[in-house]
Amino acid sequence: MTTLEPVAKPLSLTKFMPGDFKSDLKPIWCPGCGDFGVVTAITRALANIARPPHEIAFVSGIGCSSRIPGYTTAYGFNTVHGRSLPIAQGIKLANPELLVLVASGDGDGFSIGGGHVAHAVRRNIDITYIVMDNQIYGLTKGQLSPTSQRGRKTVTSNFGSLEDPVNPLLYVMGYGASYVAQGTPADMTGLAKIIEEGIRFPGFAFINVQSPCVTYGMEDQQLKAHKTNMQSLESIGHDPADRARATELAREYGTKLYTGVLYRNPNPPQTYGQGVTERWDALKKQAVPRHEILNRFKPSN
Amino acid sequence: MSEDLIIGIAGSGGDGVISAGESLITAAALEGYHCVMTKSFGSQIRGGEASCRLRLATQPVLNPNGPLDVAVALNWDDFRRFGAELPVEAATIVIYESNTGVAPDKLPLQGVKPAVVFSVPITAMAAEHAGTDKAKNIVIAGLLAGWFGIGRESMLAGIRKKFAKKGATVVEGNVRAFQAGLDFTAANPLKEDRKLSAPQSAREPKLLTDGNDMCAAAAIFAGCTFFGGYPITPSTEIMQFLEREIWKYGGTVLQAEDEIAGIGAVVGASFAGKKAMTATSGPGMSLKTEILGLASLAELPLVCVNVQRGGPSTGMPTKAEQSDLFQAAFSAHGDCLRPVLAPTSVADIFGVTVEAFNLAEHYQTPVIVLSDQEIAQRKETVDPIDTSKFQIIDRRHPSGPELTNYSRFKLTESGISPISHPGMPGGNYLAAGIEHNEQGRPTASGEIHARMNEKRFNKFNPLKNRRDLFTVEGDPEAPIGMVSWGSVAGVAREALRLALAEGLQVKLLVPTLLYPVAETVYQDFFASVQRGLFIEQSYQAQLYRIVRMNVDLPVQVKAFAKSGSNPILPSEVLERLREMVMAIQSGQQQPEAIEH
Repeated sequence: MTTLEPVAKPLSLTKFMPGDFKSDLKPIWCPGCGDFGVVTAITRALANIARPPHEIAFVSGIGCSSRIPGYTTAYGFNTVHGRSLPIAQGIKLANPELLVLVASGDGDGFSIGGGHVAHAVRRNIDITYIVMDNQIYGLTKGQLSPTSQRGRKTVTSNFGSLEDPVNPLLYVMGYGASYVAQGTPADMTGLAKIIEEGIRFPGFAFINVQSPCVTYGMEDQQLKAHKTNMQSLESIGHDPADRARATELAREYGTKLYTGVLYRNPNPPQTYGQGVTERWDALKKQAVPRHEILNRFKPSN
Repeated sequence: MSEDLIIGIAGSGGDGVISAGESLITAAALEGYHCVMTKSFGSQIRGGEASCRLRLATQPVLNPNGPLDVAVALNWDDFRRFGAELPVEAATIVIYESNTGVAPDKLPLQGVKPAVVFSVPITAMAAEHAGTDKAKNIVIAGLLAGWFGIGRESMLAGIRKKFAKKGATVVEGNVRAFQAGLDFTAANPLKEDRKLSAPQSAREPKLLTDGNDMCAAAAIFAGCTFFGGYPITPSTEIMQFLEREIWKYGGTVLQAEDEIAGIGAVVGASFAGKKAMTATSGPGMSLKTEILGLASLAELPLVCVNVQRGGPSTGMPTKAEQSDLFQAAFSAHGDCLRPVLAPTSVADIFGVTVEAFNLAEHYQTPVIVLSDQEIAQRKETVDPIDTSKFQIIDRRHPSGPELTNYSRFKLTESGISPISHPGMPGGNYLAAGIEHNEQGRPTASGEIHARMNEKRFNKFNPLKNRRDLFTVEGDPEAPIGMVSWGSVAGVAREALRLALAEGLQVKLLVPTLLYPVAETVYQDFFASVQRGLFIEQSYQAQLYRIVRMNVDLPVQVKAFAKSGSNPILPSEVLERLREMVMAIQSGQQQPEAIEH
């Protein structure tokens, strides 16, 4: 096992409790929604990380899951559909000291915003991307999602879906992500652990959470089913440093529910932020005072 | 002697047309002339036809203007592809490459027979003196320096510097090529002396740059530390300039995966407390619209530069048009207001960009700068800018007491609420695209939505009284009034100068602030006006229509509007002003609302 990496700032001496990260805003979710577990797992992870809430920026798009930032005490930004990743990257690049979390759903992350994922991964900006994957559009009341199974009947696929679902784990592995994990609120300890580890991981971290929709979800995708079906990667002896094996296991998305760290790059590559900081240090001496910037337009022959 | 000289040079990609223009304008700028240079290309990535137009004058140059005083053709096929961009008249002095095999009295120009024509063996002279036909541009520079008295010394110094690295042989070869050009003009003098008179402000040091670089430099000056964007013609040079510079100031440029991500990152950086900017052109602007709406609702400052080109859709990417004003003013769903500013020249875009950052920060809003391809890509001499005259405004952060039970969207008298950012203890709040109450909590209350709309609109009220964002020139009580904006304002200004010289009673209003419409400014301007003319480079005359939506204009205020890539000339505007004088005298009605 790799040791946990320090976050951008040294750990605060202040002790935090999960409650310090929970706001008093009442969630709009249906009773029994998987997302309740996710917000709890996130606050537990943040308490262990011990960065004060004002140093955390929590970004989301649109969807049931995207309400999450408002249920925490962090600085939240509930943006527009599909664009949480670009906005989060702007925040992190503008202030690398911040701890930046992104919450998304399968529609937000793999359909309308799907194009951004590859670029967030390849830039390796140090943010943690948590997708609540429930294979359905809940907020708009039960339409087909990009992770819905072929044949699935919904209000927009009355005769069954004619499309194959995307495989988020395989996609992200393919893009070259350095930290890929999956969890479920059926295992709260495990979920909080992979989130904490993802935040501590130096670079882009992807966490797919199988977070069931109690209202429009399938029977075999509910937490009760998860409890019987889930299989921890640790228990099957998977080494998270083994990229080839991780990719093989990722192919079983949709048929098997693996939990834990699927892949953790044993030699994390340089993050975008590290490159930026080096460049700032190297170039700052070349800066002319801002009011002299026009001098470069003096013609010379 | 000449006071104002317009030179057009055209050839194919490898002919050095642009570099001939560049050395000429640099030399002229160093000698204290006022100059504008526009470049035009075919759509090919490399090769294809290339042209530049230079206007050099002893007085400030307001626009590139129309017919050429001097035409230089390296080959006639390429020259003719530029059509109305390089208009040749009978009075135009024509210089062309002898090896085209065209006889001086048989120029392939339709319906025009220039009186003064020189067939010059440009390529042969380059090969003979510099040992390479790559020196064609140097020969051309020598010809123009000789006949028109521009920058002989500066150009020689430029040649020595430019080729220094290539060794003495190359330097001397190019100097000989330049001299050969001069010698040709000495042997073939013009009958009438057309040398440019000495500059009025001799050797006054001027700046020389284009609108995109000037815009980017202004952003640095204003304190911008984040740029997110996606390459798109004709705005890309803004990103390129900032990418070279911004790191030195602790800033970052993100070349995003698409236009949406570009402005998304900018909204994120602004939320994180930084001054942030994006730049794009038409199609990119369409893609950015949703996030502009987000920035309006979340009240986050940002500057979005739209370098307008011909549209809709891909339209004409390398040609200027002023047809994105409706989009800038109206494109967001919901009730939304954001300031739209327009620069009129390379010099002007400095102040306009700084103003855009100031308005964005002060009002916590996206601000759109509507530049256009001509301003963006034309090189212009700029008188030195005293930067100490510009105030820099930063967003208002909450004070200590305001951070106790902090309300991010507090309903204040001004409508402006102190804004925190991540990292600020006690300022934690939820920013959102969803409607919110004063604390930032999501709401579906109609009452709160109405009050928040009122706040977001009323906060801009003082903006409409910013008379400094408008200029009125000419006779203040004139019965004839023109309105023009963006690069076309330079055409209107020249028309005004010509009209006043003829004794016509005319005035001109040039708005920097296009939207929201400052009703009283227009009402005051049109109080004395019996006949009015909006002059715009768009089919619809978009400013004319927007002002009509907001202000009761006199019936006889019309528009003269042309689609992009159809130059509007000062002489055409002057002609219409004369007609308006006659119409007032005769009481005649002007026929159409918009004349194309």
